[in-house]
Amino acid sequence: MTQKKTERGFTVWFTGLSGAGKTTVSQLVAKKLIERGKKVEVLDGDMVRQNLSKGLGFSKEDRDINIRRIGFVCHLLSRNGIVAVGAAISPYKAIRDENRKLIGDFIEVYARCPMEILVERDAKGLYKKALAGEIKNFTGVDDPYEPPENPEVVFDSDKEPPEESARKVIAKIEELGYLEPEKTPSGYTKEEEEKVNERLKALGYL
Amino acid sequence: MSDRRFLIIGLDCFTPQFVFGRWRDKLPNLKSLMEKGLWGELESTIPAITVPAWMSMMTSKNPGKLGFYGFRNRANYSYDEMFYANSLAVKEPTVWDVLSQAGKQSVVVSVPQTYPPKPVNGSLIGCFLTPDTDSEFTYPPELKDELWKNVGEYIIDVKDFRTEDKVQLIRQIYQMTSRRFATVRYLMDNKPWDFFMFVEMGPDRIHHGMWKFVDPEHPKYQPGNRFENSILNYYQYLDEEIGTLLEKLGDETIVLVVSDHGAKKMDGGICFNDWLIREGYLSVKEMPDEPKPLKNENIDWSKTKVWGSGGYYGRLFLNVKGREPDGQIDPADYESLRDELVAKIEALTDPEGRNIGSKAFKPEETYPVVNGIAPDLIVYFGDLNWRSLGSVGNPEIWSFENDTGPDDANHAQHGLFILYDPRNPGNGREYKGAHVMDVAPTVLNGLGEDIPADFEGKIIK
Repeated sequence: MTQKKTERGFTVWFTGLSGAGKTTVSQLVAKKLIERGKKVEVLDGDMVRQNLSKGLGFSKEDRDINIRRIGFVCHLLSRNGIVAVGAAISPYKAIRDENRKLIGDFIEVYARCPMEILVERDAKGLYKKALAGEIKNFTGVDDPYEPPENPEVVFDSDKEPPEESARKVIAKIEELGYLEPEKTPSGYTKEEEEKVNERLKALGYL
Repeated sequence: MSDRRFLIIGLDCFTPQFVFGRWRDKLPNLKSLMEKGLWGELESTIPAITVPAWMSMMTSKNPGKLGFYGFRNRANYSYDEMFYANSLAVKEPTVWDVLSQAGKQSVVVSVPQTYPPKPVNGSLIGCFLTPDTDSEFTYPPELKDELWKNVGEYIIDVKDFRTEDKVQLIRQIYQMTSRRFATVRYLMDNKPWDFFMFVEMGPDRIHHGMWKFVDPEHPKYQPGNRFENSILNYYQYLDEEIGTLLEKLGDETIVLVVSDHGAKKMDGGICFNDWLIREGYLSVKEMPDEPKPLKNENIDWSKTKVWGSGGYYGRLFLNVKGREPDGQIDPADYESLRDELVAKIEALTDPEGRNIGSKAFKPEETYPVVNGIAPDLIVYFGDLNWRSLGSVGNPEIWSFENDTGPDDANHAQHGLFILYDPRNPGNGREYKGAHVMDVAPTVLNGLGEDIPADFEGKIIK
């Protein structure tokens, strides 16, 4: 019997420069997915570098290994019905595309933010150090970032709150059929309920 | 094993004064059923409206037990959260649930509150609470495609009910009815059944759309208008369609024609919330220049004791301290305020100062038990001769234009039934005192099944 898409695992892959909102929004998305009954694991780049990729540096070779490792684990989780949420800078398009090909059920989310805003935010104090030359191979400063060409979702973290960005990601997951649309207490989606409401009003019942 | 079968022909809003009175001799099939069977008025629920009346009928339970009092109900005591009473709200067993348990097969078509469809021993097509035809509205799911192939597209309801183009409205109603009867005939011929029930919404739609053209008592009636026979013609069409079903039946089938409530002229509307504002019970932040729906964001809850809602009947809610989020009424004053409102509502007059005969019902005095969240008062303006308008910004508290579009009729408290059992004919006797809750026990009795002890109605015999 063919498995329903809503029962399949999948990977939500957040990519973008440091400080663009990947961790914040991915955590909100993970929380929402759990509320909606999914089993979820988050592989955040900073955390992965403390264990799974401990010892890896920021050369292109090491970055590629790191992203491939995260992709490998996401694949294992996804094929076992878990939602894997990866959140890492993942600056190189080719490696992200490798992961997409490996995993299949892959939703790419691009966290976009202008450099000047990121430098101004500098939540971890890294941009200041990078611009001062104290950190080398810092993505966006002296290492490249290749933006995705056709991500499933793009959010501009300088233009909207994280909750709105998370809502967009969830809406895309629903649109792609991995998640049943949220139902109102009456068992309708919001759109369905609006249709029924308009019909009842037109018929004079409300 | 009994060979008995039971067919319910449900006609929403089908009204006794036409069928038993004015047009009796013009509806030969219905007249024949009346002359051979039992017939009479059928008292509806309070409120007399499609939801909860049909489910009260099918479960033999009063609305208080069912826990819904209309299409839209408060989910809790917040100001905003509402739920639509579709099949998910029906927790009591219907007559086809009881029959399914007993191994009998049922076919259920378009009975209000059957969307989303629940499993049944047989076939089910959901009602006009279906969002659209992309939805799964049948049980089993494959039935949807089967109907499409054999009958045509399911018509959920009249699409453009608020049109002033009455020719188009009538055309839509006939199309909907024709498709429904074709569906019913197909299912009667192709599915096994012990119990078959369908509800046609056309009478309700044509009453609300066309009453002023037909009833000389209606304030807007003009003699000799081109639509004067529109409702009669439709009733006669229904009678013909009913004839096509009766032809298929032998003496094993008991037939029941039934409606959930009746119809009568609408004299006008009471602008409920404007009246509450005028009486000092409701406060809005901004009064619109022209009638607009009252949105919760515009209500100043800190100065509001009472608010209302529109529809064929009115619903009134009190803003109580400790119950609502920004309640203003001390619980100790709840009853005295309600009594004050009842008195004022019952004293309402028309623009000429004549009392219109309004009624206000307290749920706990109306139902033996009150489940869910009932309105604090259920209001029949002018005893349902007037409807309730929820909008604010109306120039007067009376309106002769509905705030949601043209509407000429309101509901009447009594619908009708005609019951014919060929093996136990009623011989044309008029039966008085029937209630919608009597239908389910009558069906089960007719099919030789035990009646659950908590069914509230009696057997009509």
